[in-house]
Amino acid sequence: MTTPMVEAIGVRKSYVGIEVLKGVDLTVTRGEVTCLIGPSGSGKSTLLRCINHLEKHDAGELRVDGELVGYEARNGKLYELSDKKICGERAQIGMVFQRFNLFQHLNAIDNITVGQIQVKGVKEADAVAKARELLARVGLEGKEEHYPAQLSGGQQQRVAIARALAMDPKLMLFDEPTSALDPELVGEVLDVMKDLARSGMTMIVVTHEMNFAKEVANTVYFLDQGVIEESGDPKVVLTSPSSARLQSFLSKVL
Amino acid sequence: MTSNGDDAVKVVPVRHYGRWVGAFVVVILIAMVVHTIFSKVGTGVNICSTINGIRHCHQPQRWRFYWNIVFHFFTTSEVINGLYLTLALTALAMTFGILLGVILAVMRRSQNRLLSSTAWTYTWFFRGTPVLVQLFFWFEIQALYSSITLGLPFLPVTFVHLNLIAILNPFRAAALALGLNEAAYMSEIARAGLLAVDEGQIEAATSIGMTRGQSLRLVVLPQAMRVIIPPTGNEVISMLKTSSLASAVAVTELFGATSNISAANFQVMPLLIVASLWYLIVTTVLSIGQFYLERHYAKGALRNPPPTPIQRLRDDLKGIASKYRTKRGLQTAVSS
Repeated sequence: MTTPMVEAIGVRKSYVGIEVLKGVDLTVTRGEVTCLIGPSGSGKSTLLRCINHLEKHDAGELRVDGELVGYEARNGKLYELSDKKICGERAQIGMVFQRFNLFQHLNAIDNITVGQIQVKGVKEADAVAKARELLARVGLEGKEEHYPAQLSGGQQQRVAIARALAMDPKLMLFDEPTSALDPELVGEVLDVMKDLARSGMTMIVVTHEMNFAKEVANTVYFLDQGVIEESGDPKVVLTSPSSARLQSFLSKVL
Repeated sequence: MTSNGDDAVKVVPVRHYGRWVGAFVVVILIAMVVHTIFSKVGTGVNICSTINGIRHCHQPQRWRFYWNIVFHFFTTSEVINGLYLTLALTALAMTFGILLGVILAVMRRSQNRLLSSTAWTYTWFFRGTPVLVQLFFWFEIQALYSSITLGLPFLPVTFVHLNLIAILNPFRAAALALGLNEAAYMSEIARAGLLAVDEGQIEAATSIGMTRGQSLRLVVLPQAMRVIIPPTGNEVISMLKTSSLASAVAVTELFGATSNISAANFQVMPLLIVASLWYLIVTTVLSIGQFYLERHYAKGALRNPPPTPIQRLRDDLKGIASKYRTKRGLQTAVSS
Protein backbone atom coordinates (compact mmCIF):
# COMPACT_ATOMS: atom_id res chain seq x y z
CA MET A 1 0.00 0.00 0.00
CA THR A 2 1.41 3.41 -0.95
CA THR A 3 1.47 6.18 1.62
CA PRO A 4 -1.46 8.56 1.31
CA MET A 5 -0.76 12.11 0.04
CA VAL A 6 -2.20 13.69 3.17
CA GLU A 7 -2.81 12.02 6.48
CA ALA A 8 -4.19 13.81 9.53
CA ILE A 9 -4.60 12.11 12.89
CA GLY A 10 -6.24 14.03 15.75
CA VAL A 11 -5.20 17.47 14.41
CA ARG A 12 -6.08 20.33 16.76
CA LYS A 13 -5.78 24.08 16.35
CA SER A 14 -6.84 26.98 18.59
CA TYR A 15 -6.88 30.73 18.05
CA VAL A 16 -6.65 32.72 21.29
CA GLY A 17 -8.69 30.31 23.34
CA ILE A 18 -11.15 29.25 20.66
CA GLU A 19 -10.60 25.71 19.46
CA VAL A 20 -11.23 25.64 15.73
CA LEU A 21 -10.11 22.08 15.02
CA LYS A 22 -10.95 19.55 17.73
CA GLY A 23 -9.12 16.45 16.60
CA VAL A 24 -9.58 15.92 12.87
CA ASP A 25 -8.76 12.67 11.11
CA LEU A 26 -8.46 12.74 7.34
CA THR A 27 -6.81 10.69 4.62
CA VAL A 28 -6.29 11.85 1.06
CA THR A 29 -5.26 9.21 -1.43
CA ARG A 30 -2.92 10.10 -4.31
CA GLY A 31 -4.61 11.20 -7.49
CA GLU A 32 -7.96 11.66 -5.82
CA VAL A 33 -10.16 14.69 -5.28
CA THR A 34 -11.32 15.38 -1.74
CA CYS A 35 -13.97 17.97 -0.97
CA LEU A 36 -14.36 19.61 2.45
CA ILE A 37 -17.82 20.96 3.06
CA GLY A 38 -19.50 22.48 6.09
CA PRO A 39 -20.92 25.70 7.49
CA SER A 40 -18.66 28.74 7.82
CA GLY A 41 -16.54 28.64 10.96
CA SER A 42 -16.49 24.85 10.93
CA GLY A 43 -12.71 24.77 10.44
CA LYS A 44 -12.49 23.77 6.75
CA SER A 45 -10.19 26.61 5.72
CA THR A 46 -8.09 26.27 8.87
CA LEU A 47 -7.50 22.59 8.12
CA LEU A 48 -6.45 23.49 4.57
CA ARG A 49 -4.06 26.19 5.84
CA CYS A 50 -2.53 23.75 8.34
CA ILE A 51 -1.73 21.34 5.50
CA ASN A 52 0.66 23.82 3.84
CA HIS A 53 1.72 25.25 7.19
CA LEU A 54 0.26 28.71 6.68
CA GLU A 55 -1.07 27.97 10.18
CA LYS A 56 0.74 25.88 12.76
CA HIS A 57 -1.37 23.07 14.21
CA ASP A 58 -1.17 22.69 17.99
CA ALA A 59 -1.52 18.96 18.41
CA GLY A 60 -1.95 15.75 16.47
CA GLU A 61 -0.07 14.34 13.53
CA LEU A 62 -0.19 15.84 10.08
CA ARG A 63 1.73 14.26 7.22
CA VAL A 64 2.03 15.27 3.59
CA ASP A 65 3.57 12.67 1.29
CA GLY A 66 4.65 10.70 4.37
CA GLU A 67 6.57 13.65 5.87
CA LEU A 68 5.49 15.53 9.00
CA VAL A 69 4.36 19.08 8.22
CA GLY A 70 6.62 21.68 9.85
CA TYR A 71 8.51 19.20 12.04
CA GLU A 72 11.12 16.51 11.82
CA ALA A 73 11.06 13.44 14.06
CA ARG A 74 14.52 12.46 15.30
CA ASN A 75 15.48 10.39 18.35
CA GLY A 76 11.94 10.41 19.63
CA LYS A 77 11.79 14.23 19.61
CA LEU A 78 10.07 16.67 17.26
CA TYR A 79 12.34 19.35 15.83
CA GLU A 80 10.74 22.43 14.32
CA LEU A 81 11.89 22.87 10.72
CA SER A 82 13.83 25.95 9.65
CA ASP A 83 11.95 28.58 7.65
CA LYS A 84 13.86 27.60 4.55
CA LYS A 85 12.80 23.94 4.77
CA ILE A 86 9.20 24.92 5.41
CA CYS A 87 9.33 27.14 2.29
CA GLY A 88 10.68 24.17 0.35
CA GLU A 89 7.74 22.05 1.51
CA ARG A 90 5.23 24.76 0.64
CA ALA A 91 6.65 25.16 -2.86
CA GLN A 92 5.44 21.60 -3.58
CA ILE A 93 1.87 22.36 -2.48
CA GLY A 94 -0.19 24.67 -4.67
CA MET A 95 -2.82 26.86 -3.09
CA VAL A 96 -5.70 28.77 -4.65
CA PHE A 97 -7.40 31.41 -2.55
CA GLN A 98 -10.97 32.64 -2.31
CA ARG A 99 -9.88 36.19 -3.18
CA PHE A 100 -7.38 35.11 -5.92
CA ASN A 101 -4.49 37.08 -4.35
CA LEU A 102 -2.75 37.60 -7.67
CA PHE A 103 0.30 39.86 -7.40
CA GLN A 104 -1.27 43.18 -8.36
CA HIS A 105 1.91 44.78 -9.70
CA LEU A 106 2.73 41.95 -12.10
CA ASN A 107 1.01 40.96 -15.35
CA ALA A 108 -0.38 37.46 -15.91
CA ILE A 109 2.89 36.03 -17.27
CA ASP A 110 5.02 37.53 -14.48
CA ASN A 111 2.57 36.27 -11.84
CA ILE A 112 3.19 32.74 -13.13
CA THR A 113 6.95 33.04 -13.66
CA VAL A 114 8.03 34.81 -10.44
CA GLY A 115 7.79 31.67 -8.30
CA GLN A 116 9.48 29.46 -10.87
CA ILE A 117 12.40 31.87 -11.31
CA GLN A 118 12.87 33.03 -7.71
CA VAL A 119 11.97 29.89 -5.75
CA LYS A 120 12.81 27.02 -8.10
CA GLY A 121 15.62 28.75 -9.99
CA VAL A 122 14.13 28.01 -13.43
CA LYS A 123 15.67 29.96 -16.35
CA GLU A 124 13.54 32.91 -17.41
CA ALA A 125 12.95 31.70 -20.98
CA ASP A 126 11.81 28.28 -19.73
CA ALA A 127 9.58 29.86 -17.09
CA VAL A 128 7.91 32.11 -19.67
CA ALA A 129 7.37 29.19 -22.06
CA LYS A 130 5.75 27.22 -19.27
CA ALA A 131 3.62 30.20 -18.23
CA ARG A 132 2.31 30.59 -21.79
CA GLU A 133 1.52 26.90 -21.94
CA LEU A 134 -0.35 27.04 -18.60
CA LEU A 135 -2.28 30.16 -19.60
CA ALA A 136 -3.40 28.34 -22.74
CA ARG A 137 -4.39 25.36 -20.62
CA VAL A 138 -6.68 27.50 -18.45
CA GLY A 139 -8.11 29.14 -21.57
CA LEU A 140 -6.43 32.53 -21.25
CA GLU A 141 -4.39 32.83 -24.44
CA GLY A 142 -3.93 36.47 -25.37
CA LYS A 143 -4.17 37.68 -21.76
CA GLU A 144 -0.43 37.30 -21.10
CA GLU A 145 0.27 41.02 -20.71
CA HIS A 146 -2.88 41.83 -18.72
CA TYR A 147 -2.61 43.01 -15.14
CA PRO A 148 -4.96 41.49 -12.53
CA ALA A 149 -7.03 44.70 -12.41
CA GLN A 150 -7.73 44.27 -16.12
CA LEU A 151 -9.11 40.72 -15.72
CA SER A 152 -12.51 39.50 -14.55
CA GLY A 153 -12.77 37.52 -11.32
CA GLY A 154 -13.03 34.22 -13.19
CA GLN A 155 -10.00 35.05 -15.33
CA GLN A 156 -8.00 36.10 -12.26
CA GLN A 157 -8.81 32.84 -10.51
CA ARG A 158 -7.70 30.86 -13.57
CA VAL A 159 -4.39 32.79 -13.63
CA ALA A 160 -4.07 31.97 -9.91
CA ILE A 161 -4.54 28.26 -10.68
CA ALA A 162 -1.90 28.53 -13.42
CA ARG A 163 0.44 30.27 -10.95
CA ALA A 164 0.08 27.38 -8.51
CA LEU A 165 0.49 24.75 -11.24
CA ALA A 166 3.70 26.40 -12.47
CA MET A 167 5.45 25.15 -9.33
CA ASP A 168 4.72 21.51 -10.37
CA PRO A 169 2.87 20.80 -7.12
CA LYS A 170 2.18 17.27 -5.96
CA LEU A 171 -0.94 18.49 -4.19
CA MET A 172 -3.35 21.35 -4.90
CA LEU A 173 -5.39 23.08 -2.20
CA PHE A 174 -8.43 25.17 -3.14
CA ASP A 175 -9.90 27.47 -0.48
CA GLU A 176 -13.45 28.27 -1.67
CA PRO A 177 -12.15 29.10 -5.16
CA THR A 178 -15.54 30.18 -6.54
CA SER A 179 -17.08 31.95 -3.54
CA ALA A 180 -15.98 35.44 -4.59
CA LEU A 181 -17.15 35.05 -8.19
CA ASP A 182 -20.27 36.22 -9.98
CA PRO A 183 -22.52 33.20 -10.59
CA GLU A 184 -21.95 33.29 -14.35
CA LEU A 185 -18.16 33.07 -13.88
CA VAL A 186 -18.21 30.07 -11.51
CA GLY A 187 -18.50 27.59 -14.39
CA GLU A 188 -15.26 28.58 -16.14
CA VAL A 189 -13.23 28.05 -12.97
CA LEU A 190 -14.91 24.75 -12.12
CA ASP A 191 -14.24 23.53 -15.68
CA VAL A 192 -10.51 24.18 -15.22
CA MET A 193 -10.62 22.32 -11.89
CA LYS A 194 -12.48 19.35 -13.41
CA ASP A 195 -9.90 19.18 -16.17
CA LEU A 196 -7.17 19.22 -13.55
CA ALA A 197 -8.88 16.42 -11.60
CA ARG A 198 -9.09 14.31 -14.76
CA SER A 199 -5.34 14.76 -15.30
CA GLY A 200 -4.75 12.91 -12.03
CA MET A 201 -3.84 15.83 -9.72
CA THR A 202 -4.38 15.24 -6.02
CA MET A 203 -6.76 17.98 -4.88
CA ILE A 204 -8.35 19.11 -1.65
CA VAL A 205 -11.20 21.52 -2.30
CA VAL A 206 -13.07 23.54 0.30
CA THR A 207 -16.30 24.37 -1.46
CA HIS A 208 -19.97 25.16 -1.29
CA GLU A 209 -20.54 23.83 -4.83
CA MET A 210 -22.36 20.60 -3.97
CA ASN A 211 -22.78 19.63 -7.62
CA PHE A 212 -19.03 19.90 -8.17
CA ALA A 213 -18.44 17.74 -5.08
CA LYS A 214 -20.95 15.16 -6.28
CA GLU A 215 -19.54 15.06 -9.80
CA VAL A 216 -15.79 15.27 -9.25
CA ALA A 217 -14.90 14.29 -5.67
CA ASN A 218 -13.80 10.78 -4.73
CA THR A 219 -14.35 11.50 -1.05
CA VAL A 220 -16.23 14.22 0.76
CA TYR A 221 -15.73 15.28 4.38
CA PHE A 222 -18.40 17.22 6.26
CA LEU A 223 -16.92 19.38 9.03
CA ASP A 224 -18.98 20.93 11.77
CA GLN A 225 -17.65 22.85 14.77
CA GLY A 226 -14.12 21.53 14.36
CA VAL A 227 -14.90 17.83 13.99
CA ILE A 228 -15.63 15.61 11.01
CA GLU A 229 -19.29 14.67 11.29
CA GLU A 230 -19.49 12.47 8.26
CA SER A 231 -17.33 11.36 5.36
CA GLY A 232 -17.32 8.99 2.40
CA ASP A 233 -18.43 8.64 -1.21
CA PRO A 234 -20.13 11.93 -2.17
CA LYS A 235 -22.92 10.13 -4.02
CA VAL A 236 -23.86 8.41 -0.77
CA VAL A 237 -23.01 11.14 1.73
CA LEU A 238 -24.66 13.99 -0.18
CA THR A 239 -27.79 12.13 -1.27
CA SER A 240 -28.60 10.14 1.86
CA PRO A 241 -26.79 11.76 4.82
CA SER A 242 -26.97 9.84 8.06
CA SER A 243 -26.24 12.66 10.58
CA ALA A 244 -28.90 15.20 11.46
CA ARG A 245 -26.39 18.08 11.13
CA LEU A 246 -25.50 17.20 7.54
CA GLN A 247 -29.18 16.74 6.70
CA SER A 248 -30.01 20.24 7.90
CA PHE A 249 -26.87 21.72 6.24
CA LEU A 250 -27.70 20.17 2.87
CA SER A 251 -31.32 21.29 3.09
CA LYS A 252 -30.03 24.87 3.35
CA VAL A 253 -27.42 24.83 0.60
CA LEU A 254 -29.01 22.61 -2.05
CA MET B 1 -36.38 65.18 -28.62
CA THR B 2 -33.28 64.93 -30.77
CA SER B 3 -30.00 66.57 -30.03
CA ASN B 4 -28.79 66.78 -33.63
CA GLY B 5 -30.26 67.09 -37.07
CA ASP B 6 -32.11 70.00 -38.63
CA ASP B 7 -34.87 70.23 -36.05
CA ALA B 8 -32.41 70.07 -33.11
CA VAL B 9 -33.61 71.74 -29.93
CA LYS B 10 -31.27 74.53 -28.85
CA VAL B 11 -29.78 73.69 -25.44
CA VAL B 12 -29.06 76.69 -23.21
CA PRO B 13 -26.34 75.86 -20.65
CA VAL B 14 -26.78 77.04 -17.04
CA ARG B 15 -25.26 80.51 -16.54
CA HIS B 16 -22.85 80.60 -13.59
CA TYR B 17 -22.99 84.33 -12.77
CA GLY B 18 -21.25 83.90 -9.40
CA ARG B 19 -18.30 82.14 -11.02
CA TRP B 20 -17.98 84.86 -13.64
CA VAL B 21 -17.84 87.58 -11.01
CA GLY B 22 -15.27 85.56 -9.04
CA ALA B 23 -13.14 84.99 -12.14
CA PHE B 24 -13.29 88.69 -12.97
CA VAL B 25 -12.11 89.66 -9.47
CA VAL B 26 -9.27 87.14 -9.67
CA VAL B 27 -8.17 88.41 -13.09
CA ILE B 28 -8.00 91.96 -11.69
CA LEU B 29 -5.98 90.79 -8.67
CA ILE B 30 -3.54 88.81 -10.83
CA ALA B 31 -3.06 91.84 -13.08
CA MET B 32 -2.31 94.00 -10.03
CA VAL B 33 0.28 91.51 -8.70
CA VAL B 34 2.02 91.12 -12.07
CA HIS B 35 2.02 94.89 -12.53
CA THR B 36 3.57 95.61 -9.15
CA ILE B 37 6.21 92.89 -9.53
CA PHE B 38 7.40 94.40 -12.79
CA SER B 39 6.90 98.06 -11.86
CA LYS B 40 9.48 100.74 -11.36
CA VAL B 41 9.74 103.25 -8.53
CA GLY B 42 11.66 106.41 -7.98
CA THR B 43 14.98 106.17 -6.18
CA GLY B 44 14.14 109.15 -3.93
CA VAL B 45 17.20 111.03 -5.16
CA ASN B 46 16.62 114.14 -7.24
CA ILE B 47 19.17 114.92 -9.88
CA CYS B 48 18.96 118.55 -10.93
CA SER B 49 20.74 120.59 -13.54
CA THR B 50 20.38 124.13 -14.83
CA ILE B 51 20.18 124.50 -18.55
CA ASN B 52 19.82 128.01 -20.04
CA GLY B 53 18.94 129.34 -16.59
CA ILE B 54 16.06 126.88 -16.12
CA ARG B 55 16.41 124.31 -13.41
CA HIS B 56 15.49 120.77 -14.47
CA CYS B 57 15.05 117.99 -11.89
CA HIS B 58 14.38 114.32 -12.38
CA GLN B 59 14.36 111.23 -10.25
CA PRO B 60 16.04 108.11 -11.70
CA GLN B 61 13.81 105.03 -11.72
CA ARG B 62 14.63 101.51 -10.60
CA TRP B 63 12.85 98.14 -10.63
CA ARG B 64 10.76 97.78 -7.48
CA PHE B 65 11.98 94.15 -7.16
CA TYR B 66 15.59 95.00 -8.10
CA TRP B 67 15.42 92.68 -11.15
CA ASN B 68 18.70 93.99 -12.51
CA ILE B 69 20.53 93.05 -9.28
CA VAL B 70 18.69 89.71 -9.09
CA PHE B 71 19.74 88.98 -12.66
CA HIS B 72 23.31 90.01 -11.92
CA PHE B 73 23.71 87.62 -8.96
CA PHE B 74 21.53 84.80 -10.31
CA THR B 75 24.40 82.87 -11.90
CA THR B 76 27.45 84.06 -9.96
CA SER B 77 29.79 81.24 -8.98
CA GLU B 78 29.01 81.70 -5.28
CA VAL B 79 25.30 81.16 -5.87
CA ILE B 80 25.85 78.22 -8.23
CA ASN B 81 28.21 76.56 -5.73
CA GLY B 82 25.57 77.11 -3.06
CA LEU B 83 22.94 75.53 -5.30
CA TYR B 84 25.25 72.58 -5.88
CA LEU B 85 25.71 72.12 -2.10
CA THR B 86 21.95 72.34 -1.56
CA LEU B 87 21.32 69.62 -4.16
CA ALA B 88 24.10 67.46 -2.70
CA LEU B 89 22.76 67.87 0.85
CA THR B 90 19.23 67.01 -0.28
CA ALA B 91 20.34 63.97 -2.26
CA LEU B 92 22.60 62.63 0.50
CA ALA B 93 20.13 63.22 3.32
CA MET B 94 17.21 61.72 1.37
CA THR B 95 19.14 58.65 0.20
CA PHE B 96 20.28 57.98 3.73
CA GLY B 97 16.84 58.80 5.15
CA ILE B 98 14.98 56.51 2.73
CA LEU B 99 17.31 53.54 3.24
CA LEU B 100 17.32 53.82 7.02
CA GLY B 101 13.59 54.60 7.02
CA VAL B 102 12.70 51.43 5.11
CA ILE B 103 14.94 49.37 7.41
CA LEU B 104 13.22 50.93 10.44
CA ALA B 105 9.78 50.23 8.95
CA VAL B 106 10.67 46.57 8.36
CA MET B 107 12.07 46.41 11.92
CA ARG B 108 8.79 47.80 13.26
CA ARG B 109 6.99 44.84 11.66
CA SER B 110 9.42 42.30 13.08
CA GLN B 111 8.06 39.65 15.42
CA ASN B 112 11.14 40.26 17.57
CA ARG B 113 10.05 42.73 20.27
CA LEU B 114 13.56 44.18 20.70
CA LEU B 115 13.80 45.09 16.99
CA SER B 116 10.34 46.62 16.84
CA SER B 117 10.72 48.66 20.03
CA THR B 118 14.17 49.90 18.95
CA ALA B 119 12.64 51.20 15.73
CA TRP B 120 9.82 52.82 17.69
CA THR B 121 12.28 54.51 20.07
CA TYR B 122 14.35 55.84 17.17
CA THR B 123 11.30 57.50 15.62
CA TRP B 124 10.22 58.82 19.00
CA PHE B 125 13.59 60.46 19.60
CA PHE B 126 14.27 61.97 16.18
CA ARG B 127 10.71 63.20 15.67
CA GLY B 128 10.62 64.57 19.18
CA THR B 129 13.48 67.05 18.87
CA PRO B 130 13.73 69.99 16.42
CA VAL B 131 15.87 69.41 13.37
CA LEU B 132 17.78 72.66 13.98
CA VAL B 133 18.78 71.40 17.42
CA GLN B 134 19.88 68.10 15.88
CA LEU B 135 21.96 69.99 13.30
CA PHE B 136 23.83 71.82 16.04
CA PHE B 137 24.17 68.57 17.98
CA TRP B 138 26.01 66.79 15.16
CA PHE B 139 27.99 69.93 14.38
CA GLU B 140 29.22 70.02 17.98
CA ILE B 141 29.51 66.26 18.48
CA GLN B 142 33.30 66.57 18.81
CA ALA B 143 32.64 68.09 22.23
CA LEU B 144 31.41 64.64 23.32
CA TYR B 145 33.54 62.36 21.17
CA SER B 146 36.75 63.38 19.49
CA SER B 147 36.94 59.92 17.96
CA ILE B 148 34.82 56.78 17.79
CA THR B 149 36.19 53.29 18.26
CA LEU B 150 34.03 50.32 17.40
CA GLY B 151 34.88 47.09 19.17
CA LEU B 152 33.37 44.53 21.51
CA PRO B 153 32.27 45.91 24.88
CA PHE B 154 34.61 45.09 27.79
CA LEU B 155 37.02 43.30 25.44
CA PRO B 156 40.26 44.54 23.86
CA VAL B 157 38.91 44.05 20.31
CA THR B 158 38.78 46.97 17.85
CA PHE B 159 37.13 46.92 14.44
CA VAL B 160 37.11 50.56 13.34
CA HIS B 161 38.67 53.75 14.62
CA LEU B 162 37.22 57.06 13.37
CA ASN B 163 38.65 60.47 14.02
CA LEU B 164 35.49 62.59 14.22
CA ILE B 165 37.24 65.96 14.16
CA ALA B 166 38.80 65.11 10.81
CA ILE B 167 35.78 63.34 9.33
CA LEU B 168 32.83 65.48 10.39
CA ASN B 169 33.26 68.74 8.52
CA PRO B 170 30.18 71.02 8.63
CA PHE B 171 28.78 69.65 5.35
CA ARG B 172 29.02 66.02 6.44
CA ALA B 173 27.64 66.81 9.89
CA ALA B 174 24.68 68.57 8.27
CA ALA B 175 24.06 65.69 5.83
CA LEU B 176 24.20 63.22 8.71
CA ALA B 177 21.85 65.26 10.89
CA LEU B 178 19.31 65.82 8.12
CA GLY B 179 19.48 62.15 7.06
CA LEU B 180 19.02 60.78 10.57
CA ASN B 181 16.10 63.13 11.14
CA GLU B 182 14.55 62.24 7.79
CA ALA B 183 14.78 58.51 8.51
CA ALA B 184 12.32 58.94 11.37
CA TYR B 185 9.72 60.46 9.04
CA MET B 186 10.50 58.08 6.18
CA SER B 187 10.03 55.07 8.46
CA GLU B 188 6.44 56.15 9.15
CA ILE B 189 5.82 56.67 5.42
CA ALA B 190 7.32 53.28 4.55
CA ARG B 191 5.34 51.64 7.34
CA ALA B 192 2.09 53.06 5.98
CA GLY B 193 3.05 51.70 2.56
CA LEU B 194 3.77 48.22 3.91
CA LEU B 195 0.48 48.22 5.83
CA ALA B 196 -1.41 49.17 2.67
CA VAL B 197 -0.46 45.90 0.95
CA ASP B 198 -3.16 43.27 1.39
CA GLU B 199 -2.34 40.37 3.73
CA GLY B 200 -3.46 38.00 0.96
CA GLN B 201 -0.49 39.06 -1.16
CA ILE B 202 1.91 37.82 1.51
CA GLU B 203 -0.06 34.59 1.90
CA ALA B 204 0.05 33.98 -1.85
CA ALA B 205 3.80 34.65 -1.92
CA THR B 206 4.26 32.28 1.03
CA SER B 207 2.12 29.60 -0.60
CA ILE B 208 4.40 29.37 -3.64
CA GLY B 209 7.36 28.85 -1.33
CA MET B 210 8.83 32.35 -1.04
CA THR B 211 10.77 33.16 2.11
CA ARG B 212 9.80 36.20 4.18
CA GLY B 213 12.66 38.15 2.59
CA GLN B 214 11.61 37.19 -0.95
CA SER B 215 7.97 38.10 -0.38
CA LEU B 216 9.04 41.45 1.09
CA ARG B 217 11.39 42.22 -1.81
CA LEU B 218 9.39 40.82 -4.72
CA VAL B 219 5.77 41.28 -3.66
CA VAL B 220 5.27 43.67 -0.74
CA LEU B 221 7.77 46.49 -1.38
CA PRO B 222 6.98 46.98 -5.10
CA GLN B 223 3.30 47.37 -4.22
CA ALA B 224 4.04 49.53 -1.18
CA MET B 225 5.98 51.89 -3.47
CA ARG B 226 2.72 53.18 -4.97
CA VAL B 227 1.69 54.41 -1.52
CA ILE B 228 5.22 55.46 -0.50
CA ILE B 229 6.17 57.56 -3.57
CA PRO B 230 3.79 60.57 -3.25
CA PRO B 231 4.63 61.45 0.38
CA THR B 232 8.32 60.71 -0.33
CA GLY B 233 8.20 63.24 -3.16
CA ASN B 234 6.85 65.70 -0.62
CA GLU B 235 9.71 64.85 1.70
CA VAL B 236 12.31 65.46 -1.03
CA ILE B 237 10.83 68.88 -1.78
CA SER B 238 10.59 69.61 1.92
CA MET B 239 14.21 68.50 2.43
CA LEU B 240 15.37 70.80 -0.37
CA LYS B 241 14.13 73.72 1.71
CA THR B 242 14.97 72.30 5.17
CA SER B 243 18.58 72.00 4.00
CA SER B 244 18.73 75.82 4.20
CA LEU B 245 18.96 75.33 7.98
CA ALA B 246 22.49 74.01 7.37
CA SER B 247 23.52 77.65 6.79
CA ALA B 248 23.26 77.97 10.58
CA VAL B 249 26.18 75.56 10.99
CA ALA B 250 28.42 77.31 8.47
CA VAL B 251 27.50 75.33 5.35
CA THR B 252 27.38 77.77 2.43
CA GLU B 253 24.52 76.08 0.60
CA LEU B 254 22.16 78.19 -1.52
CA PHE B 255 20.66 80.23 1.31
CA GLY B 256 23.99 80.49 3.13
CA ALA B 257 25.70 81.71 -0.03
CA THR B 258 23.08 84.38 -0.78
CA SER B 259 23.14 85.46 2.89
CA ASN B 260 26.90 85.85 2.72
CA ILE B 261 26.65 88.01 -0.39
CA SER B 262 23.95 90.25 1.09
CA ALA B 263 25.90 90.57 4.35
CA ALA B 264 28.66 92.15 2.29
CA ASN B 265 26.63 94.35 -0.07
CA PHE B 266 23.42 94.94 1.98
CA GLN B 267 21.24 93.92 -0.98
CA VAL B 268 19.12 91.66 1.24
CA MET B 269 15.91 91.60 -0.83
CA PRO B 270 17.44 90.91 -4.25
CA LEU B 271 19.45 88.00 -2.88
CA LEU B 272 16.45 86.54 -1.07
CA ILE B 273 14.70 86.64 -4.45
CA VAL B 274 17.70 84.90 -6.08
CA ALA B 275 17.49 82.09 -3.50
CA SER B 276 13.70 81.83 -3.80
CA LEU B 277 13.80 81.60 -7.59
CA TRP B 278 16.37 78.82 -7.51
CA TYR B 279 14.34 76.88 -4.90
CA LEU B 280 11.26 77.27 -7.10
CA ILE B 281 13.07 76.04 -10.21
CA VAL B 282 14.43 72.93 -8.49
CA THR B 283 11.05 72.20 -6.88
CA THR B 284 9.37 72.38 -10.28
CA VAL B 285 11.84 69.93 -11.80
CA LEU B 286 11.40 67.56 -8.83
CA SER B 287 7.60 67.70 -9.14
CA ILE B 288 7.79 66.67 -12.78
CA GLY B 289 10.05 63.76 -11.85
CA GLN B 290 7.62 62.74 -9.11
CA PHE B 291 4.71 62.64 -11.59
CA TYR B 292 6.48 60.16 -13.87
CA LEU B 293 7.69 58.04 -10.95
CA GLU B 294 4.15 57.79 -9.57
CA ARG B 295 2.90 56.82 -13.00
CA HIS B 296 5.50 54.06 -13.21
CA TYR B 297 4.55 52.52 -9.86
CA ALA B 298 0.81 52.82 -10.53
CA LYS B 299 1.33 50.02 -13.07
CA GLY B 300 -1.24 47.29 -12.51
CA ALA B 301 -3.18 49.32 -9.94
CA LEU B 302 -5.12 51.34 -12.48
CA ARG B 303 -6.86 50.09 -15.59
CA ASN B 304 -5.95 53.28 -17.44
CA PRO B 305 -2.99 55.28 -16.13
CA PRO B 306 -3.58 59.05 -16.22
CA PRO B 307 -2.19 60.78 -19.34
CA THR B 308 1.06 62.68 -19.07
CA PRO B 309 0.74 66.47 -19.48
CA ILE B 310 2.22 66.15 -22.97
CA GLN B 311 -0.31 63.46 -23.91
CA ARG B 312 -3.10 65.59 -22.46
CA LEU B 313 -1.95 68.62 -24.49
CA ARG B 314 -1.85 66.49 -27.64
CA ASP B 315 -5.36 65.15 -26.94
CA ASP B 316 -6.64 68.69 -26.30
CA LEU B 317 -5.18 69.91 -29.59
CA LYS B 318 -6.66 66.91 -31.40
CA GLY B 319 -10.03 67.65 -29.78
CA ILE B 320 -9.96 71.28 -30.89
CA ALA B 321 -8.87 70.28 -34.39
CA SER B 322 -11.64 67.73 -34.78
CA LYS B 323 -14.21 70.18 -33.41
CA TYR B 324 -13.05 72.74 -35.95
CA ARG B 325 -13.20 70.14 -38.68
CA THR B 326 -16.74 69.01 -37.83
CA LYS B 327 -17.88 72.60 -37.66
CA ARG B 328 -16.50 73.22 -41.12
CA GLY B 329 -17.94 69.92 -42.28
CA LEU B 330 -21.38 70.93 -41.00
CA GLN B 331 -21.13 74.32 -42.71
CA THR B 332 -20.21 72.79 -46.02
CA ALA B 333 -23.04 70.30 -45.57
CA VAL B 334 -25.48 73.14 -44.90
CA SER B 335 -24.24 75.29 -47.78
CA SER B 336 -24.25 72.50 -50.33
